[in-house]
Amino acid sequence: MDDRFDCIIVGGGIAGLSAALTLAKADKSFLLIERGEFAGAKNVSGGVLWGQDLAKLVPNYWEEDQAGWERFITHRRLSFMDDQSSLSIDFKSVHLANPPYTGVSVLRSKFDNWLAGKVEEAIAAGTKSMESFIATNILVEEILMEGDTAVGIRAGEEEFHANSIILAEGVNNLLTRQVGLQDKYVPADHMLTGVKEILRFDQKILEDRFQLQGMSGMSNEFVGFATHGVEGGGFLYTNRDTISIGLVLGLKDLREKKKKPYDILEHFKAHPVIADMIRGGESVEYSAHVVSSGDARVIPAKLYKDGVLVCGEAANLLLNAGKAIQGMDYAMRSGILAAETVIIASEKNDFSEQVLCGYQKALDDSYIMKDIRNFQDAVHLLHDPVMYSKVPNLLCDFGRKFFTISNEPSKKASQLMKESIREHSSLWEMAVLGFKGSRAL
Amino acid sequence: MSTDSKTPSLRSSLSEKLGRVNYRNQSRSEIKPHILVDTSICNSGCPHKCTTYVCPANCYTLDEVGKVHFQVEDCIECGTCMYACDQGAVAWSYPDPEIGRGVTWNFG
Repeated sequence: MDDRFDCIIVGGGIAGLSAALTLAKADKSFLLIERGEFAGAKNVSGGVLWGQDLAKLVPNYWEEDQAGWERFITHRRLSFMDDQSSLSIDFKSVHLANPPYTGVSVLRSKFDNWLAGKVEEAIAAGTKSMESFIATNILVEEILMEGDTAVGIRAGEEEFHANSIILAEGVNNLLTRQVGLQDKYVPADHMLTGVKEILRFDQKILEDRFQLQGMSGMSNEFVGFATHGVEGGGFLYTNRDTISIGLVLGLKDLREKKKKPYDILEHFKAHPVIADMIRGGESVEYSAHVVSSGDARVIPAKLYKDGVLVCGEAANLLLNAGKAIQGMDYAMRSGILAAETVIIASEKNDFSEQVLCGYQKALDDSYIMKDIRNFQDAVHLLHDPVMYSKVPNLLCDFGRKFFTISNEPSKKASQLMKESIREHSSLWEMAVLGFKGSRAL
Repeated sequence: MSTDSKTPSLRSSLSEKLGRVNYRNQSRSEIKPHILVDTSICNSGCPHKCTTYVCPANCYTLDEVGKVHFQVEDCIECGTCMYACDQGAVAWSYPDPEIGRGVTWNFG
């Protein structure tokens, strides 16, 4: 008897669970291995799962009382900060308040565990309920190779074999490196460190403070003083009775500027604009995780080889082009696409590169790679000191002048803007930025 | 507010927050470290000793004579040191679920 699985999935995060759910629905046998005590136990994210793929994977998830998500986002804000002020683009609309929502805030320890429950349900509903498993508390140490083909995994003394392996191990992708799809050492250049704190509130206070109705929520991103001069940005998302607040900080820039992520986070929280939002919150968890910058240069050129596929953050799939930090939706879609490729391969009974390359093709044709390619200029722009330092300063300077009423004759906004630009930058620099920005975004 | 890395209040507030982290195998007297740091590399000509400030959990510290020390107990498995160290001093792996350290997030 052939005791090989159709697929072994390494990692029970969003990418791995989405792959598993897709395989379970197609009645394929698989083993999903998660090193944490449960799916989600090791996972950290900023906190918003954007887009509508979740609704495709778990139809009508919003009707479930005990679903794993926190709040749907109806209120979005992008804030530019200097040391005293913030000037924001703010959008709130009931248009965003109907399913399928544009984004839901999540806490991964709960969300991933809930999604794993959906996988278990799908396994039980199929004919492979004795052949498909989610195994937790097991660390995959090695991908077993026969020649250049991945044939299984080793965990401690145990070995398991499969026709295919989906690597969904997250950004610290040791196995992806082992099979040669990513360099052994990945330099800090295009990587960020995320630091985050969960602050707990009385739910009523949280809802009043952020003007939330029912399960609606707010997302706020920050550029400028938030990072204390370090490349990156900040975020604040509302959950049911907690707030996720944090920063993503360019690792190379942190190294060069000799800054401590924790200190910058405390500094951010002490900013008058932030302090007003988080006052009275009880710190219940501090966490950190590396995250890719979304620079295409850090995405492996090839995401497959004989018997193996790489998805989610293990493939460094992430994008922040100024609109939203998208990573979990990329994990979800790439996990689905990897599983769909495995399903095709199992129908053809061919798990070689010739078939698995279909995954990369599907990824290329999806919004993931289209957006990553299309918005590279925006990624580079956001990581330019002009954008995370000079622009927020001049915008706040302009805001201060524009919104201060002094009972003296006033200057027109265009004049005030010119003055602020001259003080913090130059008309030429802003003209170049405007030109680049209009093309990039 | 100062962000001087030596500010005692910031160091103690970080310790307090790490004290709330749910680490695994806390009752074990001996754990198998998942990160091995060759501090002889750090202490012989590393131009930045960056792990001592980029690590979000302060696992890398400098002593009074400027030598780097590492402890794995507070590690929250973020991966920062694996990328930040460009001197080849950090051998990074995931903790063993049974005999390693590492985290279980309550929120994540």
